[in-house]
Amino acid sequence: MKLIDALRITQSPARDGLPELRIFLACGFTPLHLHTFLAAHLRNRLPAIRSEIRAGLFGDLIGNIERLKSSEADVLAVALEWSDLDPRLGIRSLGGWRPLDVADIVQSAELNAGRLLRALDAVSRDITVVVSLPTLQLPPAFTTRPLQSGQSERQLHRILAQLAESVSGLSGVRILSEQKLAAVSAPAERYDLKSDLGAGFPYTLGHASALGDLLANLIENRMPMKGLITDLDDTLWSGIVGDDGIDAISWSLEKHSQVHGLYQQLLASLVAAGVLVGVASKNDMSTVAQAFERRDMLLSNEDVFPYEVHWSSKSESVRRILNTWNIAADAVVFIDDNPAEIAEVQAAFPELTCRLFPKGDPPRVMALLEELRDLFGKAVISDEDSLRLSSIRSAGAWRDANGTSASASDDFLRSAGSRICFECSHAIGDMRALELVNKTNQFNLNGKRYAESEWRQFLADPAAFLLTAAYEDKYGALGKIAVLLGTRQSDRAHVQAWVMSCRAFSRRIEHQCLQYLFDEFGVGQISFEYTPTTRNGPLQEFLKSLVGGSLKTPVCLTKEMHSAKSIPLFHRVEVSVHV
Amino acid sequence: MSDQEQLLIRCFASIFPGLTEEEIQNSSTDSVGIWDSLSTVTLAAVIQEEFNLEIDPEMLPQLDSFRAFHEYLLQYSEQS
Repeated sequence: MKLIDALRITQSPARDGLPELRIFLACGFTPLHLHTFLAAHLRNRLPAIRSEIRAGLFGDLIGNIERLKSSEADVLAVALEWSDLDPRLGIRSLGGWRPLDVADIVQSAELNAGRLLRALDAVSRDITVVVSLPTLQLPPAFTTRPLQSGQSERQLHRILAQLAESVSGLSGVRILSEQKLAAVSAPAERYDLKSDLGAGFPYTLGHASALGDLLANLIENRMPMKGLITDLDDTLWSGIVGDDGIDAISWSLEKHSQVHGLYQQLLASLVAAGVLVGVASKNDMSTVAQAFERRDMLLSNEDVFPYEVHWSSKSESVRRILNTWNIAADAVVFIDDNPAEIAEVQAAFPELTCRLFPKGDPPRVMALLEELRDLFGKAVISDEDSLRLSSIRSAGAWRDANGTSASASDDFLRSAGSRICFECSHAIGDMRALELVNKTNQFNLNGKRYAESEWRQFLADPAAFLLTAAYEDKYGALGKIAVLLGTRQSDRAHVQAWVMSCRAFSRRIEHQCLQYLFDEFGVGQISFEYTPTTRNGPLQEFLKSLVGGSLKTPVCLTKEMHSAKSIPLFHRVEVSVHV
Repeated sequence: MSDQEQLLIRCFASIFPGLTEEEIQNSSTDSVGIWDSLSTVTLAAVIQEEFNLEIDPEMLPQLDSFRAFHEYLLQYSEQS
């Protein structure tokens, strides 16, 4: 992006009524064009947000972070440079580069790194933090030739590496990948000496734009995709299994088909991280089943569910897989080596992310794998991620039993041996709860998404509560599948967010959640911050069944209304935490 | 109006979006209240990028009006 375009974007008025995102940009230099580019890229990435960027005092990055109050910002963006660890590592300060000075620089950098870590630790408890590590080169301060990396330089890199490792372990902190930055901003093209000396801004415009874009990307923190549907022939493996035979298909160096092995390896990794992987292939199922029995397959038979292997259209396969997973097309990626199949599926599901598998072109395959990591990447793997596939497999038994009469469903539910475990707290560290609120569409009270800082600030209110429900039955555990966020006000509970995973439908968990609020909170009324969305039909139907007729915000449900509509509940209820 | 002048007006408009084309052509640090040293630095950066040239930082204090920037550009193109 050019500076003139960034200025135009930032100066165009934002729509009225947009939610505000307050960003504190911490840098030791004049923020100048980095401020402009960050604002412009944020506007492009988050058009439904009005971002306000504020910066602190010049030359005092660590002090600015130490002084930052959590009530003053939603996000802290840190653009760290070597001179923030010691001014003598920049060119605007003359403090000496003699060997004794360099030893002192290392010592002071170590102290400042510790100070910075403490400041980030404190601030990250309340607000989201994104950090870029030094992007500019060290000055010629060392006695060694620039060609040679001497001991002092290595000590500085060790200090920085230790700082980065410690910071990466803090909840709510996201560090920008130096590798990703280098791919879009070459290290030799980043520094503008004249601008640094003249205006105190050390970056070239190209580097400022690239850094602003990546920081905006980290701030955006897009929710990961949920499922991937893959073709088999010339995609998961090289060759046509129906024509060539099971032993002839390959994914190895020896057969010049290593990229297919890498693709399998990546899919297996995604499955382990909770991503659903299904197969859509025009093939004979018995042949495919034999192929998956090969011991050298990196993606196992158990990793894949479901298989749609037949001669019907690919769009029909995709439709069936989406129904089985019960997730929307916009959370799913479809991969096939045939452009015609891609076009047919894309026409049927415009919201699906469709990608061609570029067989025979290893660099483009590697680019695809990188993109898949970007689409599905998540920082933490939760217990629920490992349960997702098994719970979807067991959902078939539920569908078979529950699609019949109410009494049959009662019998089935009674025999399921279900258990719900409630946790009610102010727990700000429950990232699974936040993730569930931010990615659930169907059973969602209003579709509102929360920034981590907003979530934490809400829970800081003494009247606030966070209720989560974990579920299991004899078919398996679903993990934490329902979240209610709200406030308790004398005789009333006000629910601001309520979501339930689509995997948990038909188990009457939503009824048990309301029962819990009435019983444990001892309130006579529950109000709901309800907003209709294009996708929260299941939630709308449930609320209508309780209050009757049309829904008006806030929806109010009294204890009497709830009792009048009560249905048999068969769960064993446990309360692990109640604050 | 030359292409160069039109592009210069666009550069100024990106920094001072509230000014008309005529106001931009007559603008100076005295006539535009919000024109501060930061505006000059940003203007210089935009002009350098758009005209693909380098402005000597020592020249910046003298570049205090649209006319001054325009004359600087004319001199630069004559020299190069």
